[in-house]
Amino acid sequence: MSKKNKVVYKEKINWKKEASLLPGYLIVLIWIAFTAAFLIWILAASLSTSREIFSGAVFKFASGFHFDNYARAWQSSNVSVFFANSLLYSVVTCTVVVLIAAPAAYVLSRFGFVGNKPIRACLILAMSIPEVMIIMPIYSLTAQYHIRGRILLMVLYIFIRVPFTTTYLLNFFASLSKSYEEAAAIDGCTPAKTFWKIMLPLVQPALVTVTIFNFLSVWNEFFLALIFATSTDMAPVGVGLLQIVNGMKYTSDYGGLFAAVIIVFLPTFLLYIFLSEKIIAGVTGGGVKG
Amino acid sequence: MKKRKAFIIAFILPCVLSLLIMYLYPIVRTVIMSFFGIESVTSDISEWSFNGIDNYIKLFESPTFQRAMTNMLLIWLVGGIIVLAFALLFAVILTSGIRFKKFFRAAIYLPNIISAVALATMWIQYIYNQDYGMLNQILEALGLEGKRWLGTDMKFWSMLVAFSFGAVGYYMLIFISGIERIPEDLYEAATIDGANKIQQFGSLTLPLLRGIFKTNITFWSVNCITFFLWSKMFSPISTETSTIVPVVYLYDIVFGTQGNAQRDAGAGAAVGVTLAVFVAIIYFVMNKLLKDDDLEF
Repeated sequence: MSKKNKVVYKEKINWKKEASLLPGYLIVLIWIAFTAAFLIWILAASLSTSREIFSGAVFKFASGFHFDNYARAWQSSNVSVFFANSLLYSVVTCTVVVLIAAPAAYVLSRFGFVGNKPIRACLILAMSIPEVMIIMPIYSLTAQYHIRGRILLMVLYIFIRVPFTTTYLLNFFASLSKSYEEAAAIDGCTPAKTFWKIMLPLVQPALVTVTIFNFLSVWNEFFLALIFATSTDMAPVGVGLLQIVNGMKYTSDYGGLFAAVIIVFLPTFLLYIFLSEKIIAGVTGGGVKG
Repeated sequence: MKKRKAFIIAFILPCVLSLLIMYLYPIVRTVIMSFFGIESVTSDISEWSFNGIDNYIKLFESPTFQRAMTNMLLIWLVGGIIVLAFALLFAVILTSGIRFKKFFRAAIYLPNIISAVALATMWIQYIYNQDYGMLNQILEALGLEGKRWLGTDMKFWSMLVAFSFGAVGYYMLIFISGIERIPEDLYEAATIDGANKIQQFGSLTLPLLRGIFKTNITFWSVNCITFFLWSKMFSPISTETSTIVPVVYLYDIVFGTQGNAQRDAGAGAAVGVTLAVFVAIIYFVMNKLLKDDDLEF
């Protein structure tokens, strides 16, 4: 009953209070309107010809909707290749990282052993090491042994996400009750089986959150890809888009460029529309930068 | 007992190996490299020549590196003030009982999940475009003359504004989580004592957000030290002095493909170590400050 009253009270608009908040509404709305305006313009431009873009008439669609911009970007500008690469890197990284980090997080949070604390400290330290400290030796090492291509990038992405993923999952395993393992042990379940069958499914919400962060991070990764993706056919979307931008002065295909921008932007944007609450909760709840 | 040991080792080993391969070995080698004269990053150890701290001396005497450091400091200071001011402003507005809070919060954070390359392309190819760009359209509508936003004199500031725009949302989220942790009854007590909203913000919210400020300043500093992508996007083909930052400088002298850039992997390693030391100092100083006034509420 009291809850219902509260809802009714909330639905009534207190105009005096809203008026005092007016400046706040205005500031936030101007900022968001600006964001929306340029996103919508770019969407419109991706469906227009270069001539229409330059004459400032992208919203008239005088010559119809040019979906051929997307077809051109997808095929002749190689966006299909970049997109497939990014998808491959993200999916493989997200999967393997969990397979490495979840068992480690589990034993680190549940068992006392020599090296437990130092390993945890190293994981946190590793997250704050700038990438410029590690790229040069890895570059020379992999060149020496002729390790290159997609495999190299995937291995690097996996390794670089391990510290964050392990640290993130650690707290969730630590919060689980010991009684699960005790019951499993009485039933004759081995520790490894207990982990895969009982403990891992229990941290599923944390796995989902950390996987979203890993996916976004790998999908948008740029620095390592710029150094280690030595040819166009292994470039992910970020580096691929840079190549398209750099090629613009030869092609002048502005419609195709904006179509490519939209294609790169869309997957993470769609993910965000459905999962924004979870992502935002993860940013502040994790306490560590994703 | 033996079984338990084997289980623990099997579970922790892949994680430890990744730490050793991805972090320990490269870090140690980078530190050693920074004291040697090394021409190419792929040079064999037998071709290295011991340089002592010459790499560091040469680096800090290099006008290009000095410019890169100055740019980095400007981004840190000016960008930091802009970003943290906007982030705090939005955080205060969104926690003031405004409607559609979740939508606003999600919309302001949105640029953080977009590929930064795509976001930078949007700014460069649309907002700053000289012919059809948003800013010049607005200026023309007001009867003013359009500007060359990406000309050499304006480029740095255009880059800084675009970068700051994308960054605000992240710091706003951290401010919001800090403000929401302040107990409601403190504000009620202040209201009863006759403090108005602005007084409450100045003498209640701000002091209680000290810890959050330190978190944000730490993250912002690390973000500026590793600044690379936006500089690369604003001068994609050849590095320009107006937008150069230390990581771009490192990239050019180690991996640079231009014929005129002199390769020097030893100096590159010295840049890496310098930046890592900056990060360490930031963490150390912020930790020290945080410990001094641990607030309980």
